[in-house]
Amino acid sequence: MRAELDQTPRSLLVSERSSFRDQKTRIRAQVEQLHFNYKVSVLLPECCSAPPHLDSIFNTFNSFYLIRNLPVYELLDKNFLETAVYQGSVYGVSYRTRIDEDNCVALTPKGHLTLSLDKDSFEILGVEGKPSRFNHRTKCRFVVSVDLTDSSMAPGGRGYQRLLTGLRSRLQLKTDFLLSHYPGGGASLQALLSRYDWSEHRPQISRHTLTDLSCPALLTSDLQSCDPHSFMEWVGAVDANVSCENSSSSFLSSLVCPEPRTTVSRALSVSVCGLLLPHDVHRLIQEIRCYLEQPHLESWVCLTVHGYADSPVSWGDNEHSVLKGGENFYSLLMFQDDTYHLHLATGAHDTCPP
Amino acid sequence: MSVFMDLNLSYTNDKSRMQSLIETAAHLGYSTVAINYTYELTIKKSKVPVPTPIKDLMEKLPIVQGRCRPIRVLNRLTVVMSEQCHFKKTGREFSAYDLLAVQPATEKLFHAVERGIMFEVSYSAAIRDSTMRRYTIANAVSLVETCKGKNLILSSAAEKPLELRGPYDISNLGLLFGLSDGDAKEAVSSACRSVVLHGETRKTAGGIVHTMKCCSETPDQQEAPPADCEAPAAKRAKQLTE
Repeated sequence: MRAELDQTPRSLLVSERSSFRDQKTRIRAQVEQLHFNYKVSVLLPECCSAPPHLDSIFNTFNSFYLIRNLPVYELLDKNFLETAVYQGSVYGVSYRTRIDEDNCVALTPKGHLTLSLDKDSFEILGVEGKPSRFNHRTKCRFVVSVDLTDSSMAPGGRGYQRLLTGLRSRLQLKTDFLLSHYPGGGASLQALLSRYDWSEHRPQISRHTLTDLSCPALLTSDLQSCDPHSFMEWVGAVDANVSCENSSSSFLSSLVCPEPRTTVSRALSVSVCGLLLPHDVHRLIQEIRCYLEQPHLESWVCLTVHGYADSPVSWGDNEHSVLKGGENFYSLLMFQDDTYHLHLATGAHDTCPP
Repeated sequence: MSVFMDLNLSYTNDKSRMQSLIETAAHLGYSTVAINYTYELTIKKSKVPVPTPIKDLMEKLPIVQGRCRPIRVLNRLTVVMSEQCHFKKTGREFSAYDLLAVQPATEKLFHAVERGIMFEVSYSAAIRDSTMRRYTIANAVSLVETCKGKNLILSSAAEKPLELRGPYDISNLGLLFGLSDGDAKEAVSSACRSVVLHGETRKTAGGIVHTMKCCSETPDQQEAPPADCEAPAAKRAKQLTE
């Protein structure tokens, strides 16, 4: 038996401490770069119901659209490019496609179209691409990355025609697609939506009140009592509603709250799920900062943002894939004095977060 | 990586159990499964079993969990050989099967098979019985050491739906057998894909030319129906220019 059985697949955790008032803070860029956010969870200690301002932010997250069986060549439609892609920020990712099994598509706000294709589809498409960074022995996955705003991809150009012909007649790739647009909302997407079976969705919000929650103590900006890994484990356990009691009669969970710990009589956990835009995450961060300015029993709030596990790209345009888990998320622990601890985490098949 | 496959679901006459097996496999995330029929070569007068058409087994195939496509079901034949016998794999009775496998019962035959294609390790025996669990792990570890983690597929040989496990779980089981993370995942995906493609080439000439009989509507047509040549999707021969 090999000795490596006690090793788990590689994962990356980048931890950073800074302040919102610091000139060199990169928080804005770090939030912007994770384009496809699936879930945002907020943990508010000593709070049983969210204050109205915070609640209104949750309720005003952007709507998104689900298009069934969209032919991918439609993303190259001249009208769509002019009204949506060139004008603002379009966020689009294929839905119900697994990154390690299927062909996946992503459209980032800067107009980058990424196709993560299996070997057969890539060879049929006949467009320039690169083998995936995460291929094992054989090259079975390829990535085609195209900048739709570049002059070579202008409608009518050679590169554009080749990709369009490939997607229209050779490969005929169709997939369910999640689409969102900022700031215009749905108006600029109407022409595309009207041609196919589409539905508009509001992000799903769920709220849980937790009682007698064990929290790590001494959570202040200059001293974090526990190491980042234990802290992240605890945040995950709270978010997933997993008990940290570790009682001797239960074998379900042996997770514990890191020491030193304190007990908070009540806490509120709010989650929002859907295709969530970085812009809305920014607004939420600013609102939480305002919330923290007022005096509270506990002087911290924890915000966690999860990226899509099956997205072809994670931060920026960096390739993302799934080995055992496709996690790409960050956790922002915010304090009363405008300082924060940021933890960015990815799985084995991913690049280092920014 | 390619889609997850379980290339060994044991065939039973119980139609509802077969349906349940296929539904469970789709629910667990397998995109392709193969129904395994066993044939003992040495028993005299035993005929190669005729596979039940998939349409008769299940009218509507279930959608694979997390994807939008239905599960693909193939037919597989395992030939159990306990002595050196003449085995002609291109016989007509085998053409109904998508995959052919050989189960050597002696070590001598095992070496003969060795220069062949892929090895398979089945895990459901390990679920049913603790002694078999030890043997399965021990044998699999030896096999992995010999073939260095390549050319290996993991499958269930499940007789009941409860004996099936999800692809990521089986990939973890591969770690117990001594495979690396990447190899273990390939053993349930890309390696299985190679097996299925290889099975498809049995019906072609050299893996390149595939012929299909054209149905002619007029029965008194004199000339033979033309063969339709269909090259596989990717490659074309280079045109040599002088």
